[in-house]
Amino acid sequence: MTGKERVLATLNHQKTDRVPWIPFTGVHAGALKGYSATEVLTDSQKLYESLMEAYKLYQPDALPVVFDLQIEAEILGCKLVWADEAPPSVADHPLEETTDLPCECLMPTRESGRIPFVLDVMSKMKASVGDDIALYGLICGPFTLASHLRGNNLFMDMILDEDYVHKLMEFTTTVSLKMVDLYLEAGMDVIAVVDPLVSQISPEHFTELCHESFKTVYDYIRAKGAKSSFFVCGNATRQLEVMCKTGPDSISIDENVDMKSAKEITDSYNIAIGGNIPLTTLMLHGTQQENMKFVVNMLDTLSHDNLIIAPGCDMPYAVPADNSIGIAQAILETDAVREMVKNYEAPKEDIHVELPDYASLERPLVEAFTLDSATCAACTYMMGAMNVAKEHFGDRIDLVEYKFTEKENIARCVKMGVKNLPCVYVNGELKWSSIIPSREELFKTIEGLL
Amino acid sequence: MEMSELLNSISEKLQQGKMKDVVALCEQAVAEGNSASDILNALLGGMSVIGVKFKNNEVFVPEVLIAARAMNGGLNVIKSLLVEQGVESKGKVIIGTVKGDLHDIGKNLVSMMMTGAGFEVLDLGVDVPTEKYIAAVEENNPDILCMSALLTTTMPNMKLVIQALEEKGLRDKVKVMVGGAPVTDRFAEEIGADKYSADAASAADEAKKLVEA
Repeated sequence: MTGKERVLATLNHQKTDRVPWIPFTGVHAGALKGYSATEVLTDSQKLYESLMEAYKLYQPDALPVVFDLQIEAEILGCKLVWADEAPPSVADHPLEETTDLPCECLMPTRESGRIPFVLDVMSKMKASVGDDIALYGLICGPFTLASHLRGNNLFMDMILDEDYVHKLMEFTTTVSLKMVDLYLEAGMDVIAVVDPLVSQISPEHFTELCHESFKTVYDYIRAKGAKSSFFVCGNATRQLEVMCKTGPDSISIDENVDMKSAKEITDSYNIAIGGNIPLTTLMLHGTQQENMKFVVNMLDTLSHDNLIIAPGCDMPYAVPADNSIGIAQAILETDAVREMVKNYEAPKEDIHVELPDYASLERPLVEAFTLDSATCAACTYMMGAMNVAKEHFGDRIDLVEYKFTEKENIARCVKMGVKNLPCVYVNGELKWSSIIPSREELFKTIEGLL
Repeated sequence: MEMSELLNSISEKLQQGKMKDVVALCEQAVAEGNSASDILNALLGGMSVIGVKFKNNEVFVPEVLIAARAMNGGLNVIKSLLVEQGVESKGKVIIGTVKGDLHDIGKNLVSMMMTGAGFEVLDLGVDVPTEKYIAAVEENNPDILCMSALLTTTMPNMKLVIQALEEKGLRDKVKVMVGGAPVTDRFAEEIGADKYSADAASAADEAKKLVEA
């Protein structure tokens, strides 16, 4: 199965060969190429390059193209504040002091705001990888969009002025439908309606003031022959049931919701569920081993039908690439990674590892530590680069690969203090981790040691 | 001491978010000679029930905001009486969302719960630069400084504020509390904050413990 077939089968609630993996790379993709969040959210070439790097390193089954919930708000007149390592934030709310509606003339078109940029990246991605992986077009959900426009007063309106909330939601729902049209025309396979604020209102309020909007959007996407997903953030445990009733093909949740009990609810509606790898504590600050262990555990405790493995929301900019590579490997080669995690945690007294005497080597020694260069794409590329060097330098250097699939090599990693894979040590010193060096940089480093 | 029926209904109307009723009942309570501190306790009691329900996912942001609005209506009625009768606040709290971060819902909820716990709260707003926190601490001599961040990229600014407090010799004079979606206990410890709270109601509880300690 291709990634695309796997994702679409899951969203059609059919059997797959394995659970699909969708890294919500967001601005983090830019980090892989050294671009800032602002660059990848405004420059289509830079975002395209970044997404292609994520595609190469993380072996995803699908990718969201642009992860920015402020695109619609910007078009409707909200001022944005930009950041280097995070998506922009809405700085003001045009309807904060008035219960008017925005002008119909602001409805998004192909030319509005950053839509030309979004459509350009979508078409580039569609042409490059559109046959292989599913592409997600993300729109800001109608409730969160209403809050961008009205600010926190929206919450008070829900009690004091329901009529206005109904009218505003009608407007933002129309915006959502326009966005669906634009993104489906650009070839998106799945439309994700991202509405983090849904977790902040009662299920009763959701049903009364939001149900109709979301149902309209999901029905529309279905009528157009595409698939839908409902992304929420925060503790949406209490809202999950009413979210299901709006009829999306899938729901995506974050670490604040217990995945097992959530899946029982979504399963009862035959809706696929995605999630919920913790973003900060695990992906950003955890080790590669901890990330792999978490995902193996997810796969071992959850039923695999109607399941997607994904981060809880868009990944923080500075997530170490090794952690996502480890997650991908845990999904692609679950049995091997389960063994790795077990052996990593087991006492290693019985395995004796002799480290080379790095101070008195006869020639430069290149040691590549990989999860398994046969199955992990990032490892394959890393090993590929090293093999090119070996071919070039021949007998003047030594090259060894240590695969983490062997107990002895795990013991060696522990002894050497190797934290993340794939990585390369030259003469006992860590030179490259996850990010594969260019041929020029690699050759220069080795030549410096000859 | 058992609360009178009137004071009880102040608490109940507050929980229902009925501002006009709360104001009218507070006025009646004043006219009937209830002490400002008894009326205050009725208001804070109602807000505390909302806090617990919010923490338990029984009520959500709209209900809290509307209850807080009712509480503020009531507090306005007894404001001058509180001063007259020498009723002191639990302590002074300064709160704000750190620089580069515009998220304010969580910060506002904490601010409301702190008010509801009897603190005097000075809200510095969002995108608050380090210097502004320091100036506010120097000027107001608060018991507690609260910082909020919703982004992993703005979290580190909390540490900068704590460092600035240390440099200015203010760190021992004020307790520091932090919160926000990506913030954890471990992070709070790493940056030298006194307390992390996961939700607004717990933040108010912890604040009470900090000033009583």
